[in-house]
Amino acid sequence: MATASARQGMPMPPAPNREDIGATWNYLQHGIDRIMVNLQDGMDLATYMGIYTAVHNFCTSQKAVGLGGPNMGSQAHRGGTDLPKVLDATSAKAFLFRVAHLLGEDLYKKLIEYLDNHMEGLCNKSIAHTDEALLAFYIKEWDRYTTAAKYIHHLFRYLNRHWVKREMDEGKKDTYDVYTLHLVRWRDKFFNVVVKKVMDAVLKLVEKQRNGETIEHNQIKQVVESFVSLGLDEHDASKSTLDTYRFHFEEPFVAATKEFYDAESKQFISENSVVEYMKKAETRLNEEEERVKMYLHNDITGPLRKACNEVLIANHKDVLRDEFQVLLNNNREDDMARMFNLLNRITDGLEPLRQKFEAHVRNAGLAAVTKVASDAEKLEPKVYVDALLEVHTQYQGLVKRAFHDEPEFTRSLDNACREFVNRNDICKAGSNKSPELLAKYTDVLLRKSGTGVEEAELDATLTQIMTVFKYIEDKDVFQKFYSRMLARRLVHSNSSSDDAETSMISKLKEACGFEYTNKLQRMFQDMQISKDLNNGYKEHTKGLSLDKPLDSSYSILGTSFWPLTPPNTQFNPPAEVQADLDRFGRYYKNKHDGRKLTWLWQLCKGEVRTGYCKSSKTPFTFQVSVYQMAILLMFNDKDVHSYEDILSNTGLNSETLDGALGILCKAKVVNLKPDGGKVGPNTTYHLNYDFKSKKIRVNLNIGTKTEQKQEEVETNKTIEEDRKLVLQSAIVRIMKARKKMKHSQLVSETITQIKSRFVPKVSDIKKCIEILLDKEYLERLEDDELGYLA
Amino acid sequence: MAADPVKVRLQSNDNAVIEVEKKVAERSLLIKNMLEDLGETAISQTIPIPNVTEPVLRKVIEWCEHHKEDPPPTNDDESDNRKKTTEIEEWDQKFMQVDQEMLFEIILASNYLDIKALLDVGCKTVANMIKGKSPEEIRKTFNITNDFTPEEEEQIRRENEWAEDR
Repeated sequence: MATASARQGMPMPPAPNREDIGATWNYLQHGIDRIMVNLQDGMDLATYMGIYTAVHNFCTSQKAVGLGGPNMGSQAHRGGTDLPKVLDATSAKAFLFRVAHLLGEDLYKKLIEYLDNHMEGLCNKSIAHTDEALLAFYIKEWDRYTTAAKYIHHLFRYLNRHWVKREMDEGKKDTYDVYTLHLVRWRDKFFNVVVKKVMDAVLKLVEKQRNGETIEHNQIKQVVESFVSLGLDEHDASKSTLDTYRFHFEEPFVAATKEFYDAESKQFISENSVVEYMKKAETRLNEEEERVKMYLHNDITGPLRKACNEVLIANHKDVLRDEFQVLLNNNREDDMARMFNLLNRITDGLEPLRQKFEAHVRNAGLAAVTKVASDAEKLEPKVYVDALLEVHTQYQGLVKRAFHDEPEFTRSLDNACREFVNRNDICKAGSNKSPELLAKYTDVLLRKSGTGVEEAELDATLTQIMTVFKYIEDKDVFQKFYSRMLARRLVHSNSSSDDAETSMISKLKEACGFEYTNKLQRMFQDMQISKDLNNGYKEHTKGLSLDKPLDSSYSILGTSFWPLTPPNTQFNPPAEVQADLDRFGRYYKNKHDGRKLTWLWQLCKGEVRTGYCKSSKTPFTFQVSVYQMAILLMFNDKDVHSYEDILSNTGLNSETLDGALGILCKAKVVNLKPDGGKVGPNTTYHLNYDFKSKKIRVNLNIGTKTEQKQEEVETNKTIEEDRKLVLQSAIVRIMKARKKMKHSQLVSETITQIKSRFVPKVSDIKKCIEILLDKEYLERLEDDELGYLA
Repeated sequence: MAADPVKVRLQSNDNAVIEVEKKVAERSLLIKNMLEDLGETAISQTIPIPNVTEPVLRKVIEWCEHHKEDPPPTNDDESDNRKKTTEIEEWDQKFMQVDQEMLFEIILASNYLDIKALLDVGCKTVANMIKGKSPEEIRKTFNITNDFTPEEEEQIRRENEWAEDR
């Protein structure tokens, strides 16, 4: 104690008389002073215990209760009868110490007086400081003060436990525990006086940093912490609020930030390009985020970001958006990403970009089609589809890399693609062109061809096909063409691979549902069943031990699943074929009684071998249609036949015969007489013994151009017919469910149901409703309503 | 095994020095706070306890020893259960079987040292001494002189009639 007092030059007075407030306070003040001012010199146990004991003794003093032992009762005035009947620890304590609660107010008031005095001193001292020196002063004093407050809080614990607690329990405002009291006095008597100056210093410092100087940002961090600590909840001292911090720190800080960036951005954008400005803004925004992490309170994140977004982005959004088209035209992906990120931060910032993007993609798609569409008739399906895909791939990549696959941008891309896939220069010729060309390209891919495409590559290409398919509006047209071409591939067994076929069908199924691919799958199944059937038939014929069996194979195709029609000509199969045909017919009838077989002669083909050619030792093999086979087999009997002979023998109509004969003449398998004549009546045909060919196998089964054209026209015609049926069945389905419906409602409901297949015309729907009225599926009711007739 | 527990020395107001484990002494919130505030340097010094005599201090330390493993008192442990019961655990009951003078000294010391649980036990013991007794019996127990006139007493009885057992 002696050394301590020598060092501090302020000896503790002797322990005071417990009942004397003057003496007690005098003693306490010395102790508190030491804590407030000289704590760095340390504190000894005796002083600590002395102060605590002085507070305790003062609070428990007074003549009221001589809390000294068994004789206390004699002094507890009239303590006998007014004891509560229900006794427990608390009421017993109250009984024992009840007078003590009342003592403390004096001490509390003295403490306030002392603190206010201390604050006044701080205020006076602070006048001498400005800017960073003021910050340093504020922080130093704050640290010293709060540390002292913690000590004093502990030393005055007895006051806290009894008098303060009682006051607070009774709901007295403005009474706080001793630590909180310290904060309140600091806030009211010092903080409120200097806060403006402190904030000025803080803002100056931050501005310096924004201008590129290095600052001691720890100072700001500590100021922020101090401001936050001063957020006391007036209603509940144990809770804290951010109100003080928000009002005194956040608001001026955000306002200053706004002012700074408002000026900076305006100047910068007037002197630099938009792209440069975006880089600048991006950097600034990141800097502010960093600033929060480094030395600000998290709570400011939202308001600060909002302010920055407003002055750095929203205020310049029109300039930014105007630049977007330029960036698109020059494919400046990084800059577009930057613009996306910036405008994404403000509400409705991106919508104008999306519109521009959609228009741009649509135009790019249309231009790409126009480029390849110079000769629509000769347009290769692959070229067309590749043109569509290229545009899609390019902009899908852009959406992914620059716009983070944002759903709305993806939608804009889809809208644009749907537009240029369905309504472009090629489609002017006929709206069915897109699905038709897509189906044809698929056929090219899936058909056996010289260019062996790798399995994996093929599947990737099919996936790309599906990308375009997704945008096709007339999916029914695609289905038509696809099924026809699939039929051809299956019948002529020139699919490149079964796996690829199934994979494509399952892709379509995934996109459009079971119904869309049902027939395609049945066609597949028919081929499988036919394979088994042929094996069975082969076994069967072996058992018959025929002397000249025909090496034959039959495909049984379900009428309702295959897009095929019976031949439009009569035909008498050659005798060689007829025998096997009858045998197979019996065999099949035996297996499936009641089924009718219709021969699709136009699809039948076979091979014949020559035994008469002089020019070659090895015989030629001709691959021919069954019609050609019938003609050639006639030459087994004699070398010359007249047109009329052939006509009557084969039973073909002249149109079909002309086609078949024409090719044989052209290939010089037979020679037409008279020379230079045209295939037709009054001509004769001579077997050419001098037939020459570089190949041993000669394919004579070639369809003519006109046939192909005709098929296309036919397919398109059936589409219109089929659509009517689809529409009618949809209408009937709807009416069956609803029973009654307004005309206009029915039309729009039909459109929604059909949309996934094709986009129906309203006039077509109306026509179909008329047809159904005529057929008495529907009836007209009053008030423009229609009713369903079961 | 853990290192030897840290000890502190307590000095009663009649200058007896008692060494106890730091953990035991810290049952007193006063001592706990003080050691926290003053840090390591304080531990080596003797802690003066100016308001408590040696016998009482020893008694209080005995209680703290026994209860050193109890969970530390939480700040606002005023839960109704603890408040509303006068039950005392067996060890504490035996511990409190002391003469009245010592009982009150313990209560005062625990109040001063800020040992809430011990203060509660003490007050409960007093409460149990009062419970079920007539005013006359209470006066006798605590050696209180009746200074009411019979009229005064009658009036008080009437005012408090509602609380009577019937």
